[in-house]
Amino acid sequence: MDTSLRKLYPWFTLLGLLIGGLVIAAFYKDQHREWKDWQRQYIKDEMARAATPEQKADASRIPVEVRQIVLSDLDRVDRCTSCHVSVEDPSYAGFPLPRSYHPNHDRHPFNKFGCTICHQGQGRATTREAAHGRVEHWDQPMLDLQYIQSACGKCHLPGDVPEAPHLARGRAVFEESGCIGCHKLHGVGGVVGPELDSVGAHRGPAWLLKHFKNPATVTPGSAMPPIKATDADLDALTLYVLSFTGEPLSAYYVSMKTIPGPLAGRRLFEEKGCIGCHSVAGKGGKVGPALDEVAKRHNGEWISSHFRNPSAVSPGTVMPQFNFNEQEVRALTEFLLSMSDTNIVGFMNIPSLMTSVERGKAVYKKYGCAGCHAANGQGGVPNPNAKTAEQVPGLKFVSEGYTKDELRKRIMDGQKEIPVMDPKRPAAPLYMPAWRGKIAEGELNDLMDFLVSLTPKGEKADF
Amino acid sequence: MLISLWNSFRGTRVGRSIFRVGLPQSNLERAQVAISSFFLHFQPAKVNRRSLKFRTTLGLGLISLYLFLILVATGVLLMFYYVPATDYAYQNMKDLEFVVTAGQVLRNMHRWAAHLMVLFVALHMCRAFYTAAYKPPREFNWVVGVSLFLLTLGLSFTGYLLPWDQLAYWAITVGTSIAGYAPLVGQKLKFLFLGGHVVGESALIRFYVLHVIVLPLAAVMLIALHLWRVRKDGGLARPGESEPTRVDMPQVPATKTYGLMELARGTTPAVGINPEDEVFTWPNVVFREILLLMVTIAVVLVLAIFWNAPLEEIANPVHPPNPAKAPWYFLGLQELVAYSAFWGGVVVPGLLVTALIALPYLDRRPKGVGVWFSGERKVALTLFSLCLSAAVILTVIGTAFRGPNWSFQLPWKPVHVEEATH
Repeated sequence: MDTSLRKLYPWFTLLGLLIGGLVIAAFYKDQHREWKDWQRQYIKDEMARAATPEQKADASRIPVEVRQIVLSDLDRVDRCTSCHVSVEDPSYAGFPLPRSYHPNHDRHPFNKFGCTICHQGQGRATTREAAHGRVEHWDQPMLDLQYIQSACGKCHLPGDVPEAPHLARGRAVFEESGCIGCHKLHGVGGVVGPELDSVGAHRGPAWLLKHFKNPATVTPGSAMPPIKATDADLDALTLYVLSFTGEPLSAYYVSMKTIPGPLAGRRLFEEKGCIGCHSVAGKGGKVGPALDEVAKRHNGEWISSHFRNPSAVSPGTVMPQFNFNEQEVRALTEFLLSMSDTNIVGFMNIPSLMTSVERGKAVYKKYGCAGCHAANGQGGVPNPNAKTAEQVPGLKFVSEGYTKDELRKRIMDGQKEIPVMDPKRPAAPLYMPAWRGKIAEGELNDLMDFLVSLTPKGEKADF
Repeated sequence: MLISLWNSFRGTRVGRSIFRVGLPQSNLERAQVAISSFFLHFQPAKVNRRSLKFRTTLGLGLISLYLFLILVATGVLLMFYYVPATDYAYQNMKDLEFVVTAGQVLRNMHRWAAHLMVLFVALHMCRAFYTAAYKPPREFNWVVGVSLFLLTLGLSFTGYLLPWDQLAYWAITVGTSIAGYAPLVGQKLKFLFLGGHVVGESALIRFYVLHVIVLPLAAVMLIALHLWRVRKDGGLARPGESEPTRVDMPQVPATKTYGLMELARGTTPAVGINPEDEVFTWPNVVFREILLLMVTIAVVLVLAIFWNAPLEEIANPVHPPNPAKAPWYFLGLQELVAYSAFWGGVVVPGLLVTALIALPYLDRRPKGVGVWFSGERKVALTLFSLCLSAAVILTVIGTAFRGPNWSFQLPWKPVHVEEATH
């Protein structure tokens, strides 16, 4: 054989060893995963706790493997339990993370909900940093526990969850601040600002907070006025807005949306128009019986059956069958049983029982007029270069400047072009959106009654 | 010991049925190994001593071939996990990273080998130019080589979309929109490739089929043709080669019958060679080839172990990154397109490809063949070097010096622009 080939032999040996070493290194790196350590720790715990030889044998048979909750309905795979092995075992309560027990999951079983639907983060990941989503190129890091109540709002209505007071408060702030006046949410609202349907999915709490305090710092050129509220309320608002993820829910989860409780019951009671036939505290229809003390006449079982099929328990009744689902039946029942609680009844806002001015005020709130015209029509929100003293005008004297027809036209058609103070400067950013097709005729009439009522008696505008 | 083990296996009935020749002991057997083995007969039994020298070719063509083989092997394994649907593609990448045994290394190898292949095919083409290896009788093999270069770009580009992340989505969006600038057919062509006006489900499945079936098959066939022509065109280009002679088929009556030797035509390795300069392919060439294969595998493994293939957020058609960049090998083009869509996106690349294909038919003087940077080809060398430098500079500018809105930036001082809207 050619002697020149002999000098290649050491290279063959060296490269052979190098490739072998690299393959081993690649597999070592691949096989060494931190979740395995946590599972071994768990097995060790279980072995130590075992009292009988059978238990010990069982513990020794626990496999070290990727654990995952596959939620095809939600398009999620949550592998969190690969490290958080014992979240479902109450005997691990008080253990340090990641081995501790997760309390209060009875109504959201792990096999149906997984983890990330509430906590966010990256369910498919199996390393700590990546799973918690605190890595580059992952939009949804784990939600700070401070904001965890926003997760309830992804599925449930804010007022329905008694355990999520911050969420309910956030919604109240959202409505009081009139965000809907400029932003659209679930198809309702103005078009001056962007839609909010999925803003919580790609904005974090820090960004939102800054945005509320001073919009222009995070969104250059934004015309949105800062939201004037206490820090606690801004936090609640952030929490509420974080719940707008726009995530579609499959049928199973939709059926779970209504939380059976007096709050949801009251909402259904209002929505379904029960007051048209029944009366509460002497107000309402006279077709059906008064409901003030229904709990004294019937037990919960009877009331529930009545909701499922009225004629089955009250033969000959004229009450229609509403096809409530089981959650809704329970909610309404809970509400009726709590009727004697005056706190709840006292807060009822049943439109047909309110004056047109009261309803108009609700309409004013519903469509977010307050966002620009302030809570009671004082105006004063800055609108640079607008002829009206660089502010959004107040509405207190609107009944003197416009006839009802002019006012109606103004609300329906809006005013896209705002007269400017100085034609050389950029146009005023805020304008009156057109509400035609968005606001119902009855609502508009109520709204105008409310606006007229704003004019203080005996005072005159100094036009 | 290994040798005696192999010999005893080869001695059995089964061994003899598989291997037509044993480990060669004599020159006759050395020749037979190369000629009678399916995998080795792409090469002649003997090659010029010069072919063994590393500096003759720098091994660039072989490295490209090896990278292709690594890509086929890792690519087939990746196909076991990959589903070409927009709902799954990105999730498959995550599964490869987090739960598939060695999945991340596999993907890394595929990714880095793909980038390297584009690079090495380009370098191989430069080598062929700078050593004047495209001159007669190798004109057509140069054209095959240019086609292989374009195929390599196509393979890399179609593979780029498959992870379905932001990087993939917007690179393909930008890349295909460059194709859309072609006059008349541009928009139709873009529609044909994407199966729609924007990158979506049908684009993904089209790119996938092109990436795993159509282009690799075409590449395999062209590679086979390319290697075969290397042998038929007289091996590696070398100085002092005799003038190639083309023997046309003799005009003879159709009734005549022929022996095989009469039909053999054109330049064969036997033309103008000095027996003193010839060495046996086995083991001289084969051993060196295996060594180079080992080096290539080792380099790809090192890259794959220490650097992860990029994966950004899941593709989001309403949220373009700023700037959205094509894959790096098209960034020179994108840079040109930034000046003028028509000139940069159509005329320049069109002229370049045409010039590359026409090159061996325009520059036919047999000067400087087999010599690096021969002084007899000053004009050709200057022109090619200018084009090459321009391509490299434009690519570097497009890659490193372009920030948001394609504005100039220094790579060490990147400009960050806050998004103005949601």
